Amino acid sequence: MRSGFGYLVKEGIKSLWNNRMMSIASIGVLISCLLLTGVAELLTINVTHTMDEIGGTNVTRVFFDDEITDRDAVYIIDEIDRMKNVTKTAFVDKNDAIKEYQEKLREDLYEHMLGEGNPFPHAVDVTLRDLGEYDATMADILALDGVDSARDTREIAQRLTNLNELVSTVSLWIVIALVVISVFIISNSIRMTMYSRRFEISIMKSVGATNTFVRIPFVVEGMVIGLISGAISSALVMLVYDAVAKAVRNIVAIDFIPYSQVAWWMTLAFIGAGILIGALGSMVSIGRYLRKEGNELLGW
Amino acid sequence: MIEFRNVSKVYATGTHALNKASLTIDKGEFVFIVGSSGAGKSTFLKLIMREEIPTSGSIIVNDMQLDKLKRRHVPKLRRTMGIVFQDFRLIDKMTVYDNVAFAMHAVGARGRAIKKRVPYILELVGLEQKADRYPSELSGGEQQRVGLARALVNNPRMIIADEPTGNVDPEMSYEIIELLSEINKRGTTILIVTHQHDLVQSFGRRVITIDKGVVVSDTKDTEQPVAEE
Repeated sequence: MRSGFGYLVKEGIKSLWNNRMMSIASIGVLISCLLLTGVAELLTINVTHTMDEIGGTNVTRVFFDDEITDRDAVYIIDEIDRMKNVTKTAFVDKNDAIKEYQEKLREDLYEHMLGEGNPFPHAVDVTLRDLGEYDATMADILALDGVDSARDTREIAQRLTNLNELVSTVSLWIVIALVVISVFIISNSIRMTMYSRRFEISIMKSVGATNTFVRIPFVVEGMVIGLISGAISSALVMLVYDAVAKAVRNIVAIDFIPYSQVAWWMTLAFIGAGILIGALGSMVSIGRYLRKEGNELLGW
Repeated sequence: MIEFRNVSKVYATGTHALNKASLTIDKGEFVFIVGSSGAGKSTFLKLIMREEIPTSGSIIVNDMQLDKLKRRHVPKLRRTMGIVFQDFRLIDKMTVYDNVAFAMHAVGARGRAIKKRVPYILELVGLEQKADRYPSELSGGEQQRVGLARALVNNPRMIIADEPTGNVDPEMSYEIIELLSEINKRGTTILIVTHQHDLVQSFGRRVITIDKGVVVSDTKDTEQPVAEE
């Protein structure tokens, strides 16, 4: 068996070439499937990334009680910092807070508000890790002594969480559906080559070739189809992604991650998925064939 | 060695192809199986090659009990036999050499062994000069000799020929049977299935006649000396 392996691989590649129209067709279909899958995956990555970004800028401002001093604030912030869902805190001094209004207020009013007349309490900007746990974390923070209130961003948080879940679910189903379609297409294509080679298969079987031996060239053929499709798909995505990202950014303020950041593993995933689908597709059809027609030596 | 004991085969369609057939073919024998079409010859071959399993009875071929043989062991059985087909079954786009080498590749033979064995077998069937030709460039008799070379190349214990002269002109037919006789002299069991009664009679070998799924006659080999009278 070992000795014949090189021969079988060669046979598989030869057959790919001999049936090149069918091979090209299945490569085409597989590329489309891989592209759609890749786009769905990239979309998920970007939505997640955008969520993180928004999560990062969408800080919740937590106000302290009026009588809280700078030193009290440090202790409270320290406690907030220790909470699991908190990634970052930034103290907002009430003297700095009023400065934000310098331009908006009349000069005399502003003068009055400096120092003792400052209506603002000290505050802290809290960045959360997981917006899905917004409610629980906020409840913990509000329960602390010296904390008065928080600027409520629950609705935005909720909306973002929902969107992220929707995108993840939808793209998961797209991926599953496309993988099934791809396996089906490849298995059909391999079945065509198999029928065109059924004569050779029957001769192989009549001299005592094992099913594994008969199977290898077809599996090689499927895997090569997958490999080529994966390579072309990843090249196409690489070429198009940055241009699309730029175009979309002009319409919606979404911060796309640059392709170079995911290029490595996207390429690997494309090629890996292609090879896997190719191997699976050919094994499905050759298995079915060998159980039925492949068993006949004289009668076909 | 082939042993059929009370073998019956009924197809799903209801056709009774073999009916309690019993026969024994020993190692090194040269046997014709004769019968008109529909007599059960094809079923007989399919059973020997384990393409079909018997409805009842037991079959032993080359020390393997076929009615109990597991599917994954079928290749092992087939490697003990070489099959020659009526329609040659050569691959058109392969040369004579490649057609014969293909059978060795199919059982995982090493490249060096193939390079050594194929020319030897082609010489044996008298086709060493035509190794680079394609089947379409050969006569019917030559094509059948390629088929024979392919059947022989893996050194089987038994050659099964299904109507080997069916697509060959009468003169060539004799030549092919002669060639099979030569191979038989080297110890290979030969089993020829045919409906050409006239061809069979001129060779004076053992003839088993099947009709309507039953063995109706079994004449002894008159060419080889019978050991015990």
